[in-house]
Amino acid sequence: MKRAHLLALWLALSPAAHADDALLPALQLSGFATLGAVTADRSDLRFYGADFNAPARQRVDFGADSVIGLQGSLRLSKASDLTVQMTAKRNPHGDHRPQLSWAFFRHSPADGISIRAGRLRVPFFMFSDTLRVNYAHPWVRPPTEVYSLNPFASADGIDMLVHASAGEWSIELQPYYGGGSIDLLGGGEARLHGVRGINLTASRDALSVHLGHGQGRLAVHWKDSGFRALSAALALAGPAYDALADELSGRRGRAAFTSFGVHWDDGRHQFIGEYVRRRSDRYVDSAHAWYLSAGYRTGSVLPYVVLASQRQDQAITSLAPPAALQGAFDAYLASRSDAQRSLTLGVRWDLDSALAFKAQLTHARIGRQAWGSFYPDEGGRAPGGRRVNVLSVAIDMVF
Amino acid sequence: MRRFLLLLAFGLLTSTAVRAEFVIVAGAASSFGELSRDLAEQLFLGRRSTTADGHSVQLLDLPRGAERDRFYFLLTAKKPAQIRAWWSRQVFSGRALPPFEAASIADLRRRLGDNPDAIGYLPDDAATAELRILLRLP
Repeated sequence: MKRAHLLALWLALSPAAHADDALLPALQLSGFATLGAVTADRSDLRFYGADFNAPARQRVDFGADSVIGLQGSLRLSKASDLTVQMTAKRNPHGDHRPQLSWAFFRHSPADGISIRAGRLRVPFFMFSDTLRVNYAHPWVRPPTEVYSLNPFASADGIDMLVHASAGEWSIELQPYYGGGSIDLLGGGEARLHGVRGINLTASRDALSVHLGHGQGRLAVHWKDSGFRALSAALALAGPAYDALADELSGRRGRAAFTSFGVHWDDGRHQFIGEYVRRRSDRYVDSAHAWYLSAGYRTGSVLPYVVLASQRQDQAITSLAPPAALQGAFDAYLASRSDAQRSLTLGVRWDLDSALAFKAQLTHARIGRQAWGSFYPDEGGRAPGGRRVNVLSVAIDMVF
Repeated sequence: MRRFLLLLAFGLLTSTAVRAEFVIVAGAASSFGELSRDLAEQLFLGRRSTTADGHSVQLLDLPRGAERDRFYFLLTAKKPAQIRAWWSRQVFSGRALPPFEAASIADLRRRLGDNPDAIGYLPDDAATAELRILLRLP
């Protein structure tokens, strides 16, 4: 609220706000939307995307990918503007309440430098800051093996974009600082504090290379039934297991995210690859993931193939549960791991200058001690080690 | 021989004049100097928003369609689908403000005349004498 007052004050005091370029509107509106449907060929498994998201009730799920986003930018002066983006997508509570995904004030103190403060998308991985703008990607959605390793959507903080040229290369350096939280399924919450990170992107002609690293303090408070059952059982097992319980949920964690990506698009051939790693000392596992995507554009049609994988490096904790709880404990660890491998064949068809149709078929093999990108039905068979085919179709637009 | 050389020179002159397919233009009241191709590309890809001397630029786009696609292809060698994906990343990642979309060629010319910070592009034959040509493409 305070921030809004400050901005109003800035607006009133800045003479440039009464634009000298009166003929151009100071406010620019744009938006993006996806209408998507996804279905799996196993009746007891529900697909979910890279963010925590209530599982679908129907076999054909219109909520996993569908999203609408509206963005407005208000030019305050030649060197500063205010940008707000609202998105609505099914959330962990199962509703579509709009969220503020961007709300920042930007100022450019010098040529090639801009500073943004407010709510920002956290740029942990190559496509994190446009994760839901599916129109901008070839696929129905960025590969979940990689993007599920960081479900944090937005953070409140500050970042800086510095542009420079080095010979034929165009370089962008992005240091950032901030923190944010997301709701978890079942009423829990996860929070990242004091996140410091930096991204480097170098582009030249058709090639773009991305490097990123960010780290911060992690708090995770699970409240879902699986967690509650295990923690109740551990409490009964006595104080000897307090240390183990402390590694499952709490606010003393540390996490680090590293990514390396390459993007090539010469108009005909498209190659995209990314490798990411999550290191966490408790609450969530440490894992690495990658994907390789190759596409070939002919006219307005772009068929593509994607190989993707996520593997666990270290389980949530190395402490052992009481022998009687080993089975329940292993099932709990599996429910927090997204490890899986997949092969996807798909096609993007640009129907119009702002409208794309996509269809893709994914064959996924869920990790043996994992749930992969799937939720099992209550009381159903565990997903671990199973093979699933997922069909996704979507219409993406920008306006 | 002299006549031949004259003809050749005339032919070269007219062919270079004819060969410009698009021009990047500003209003007569603007103070922009000539643009390098590299700078023009950076501006129209949203990588920067000022000229080399720090003068801030308001970009104008033609309405969606074949002319706009052709211009971006000439300047950036990117196909329409690539340009649209690129700009949606620039805009929705909060990196750049989108160019302002004029309603027509006439509307774009009028806005250039009214706004000394504006830069736009036109098919060569649509550029009028009261506009300043900053760069010819190709």
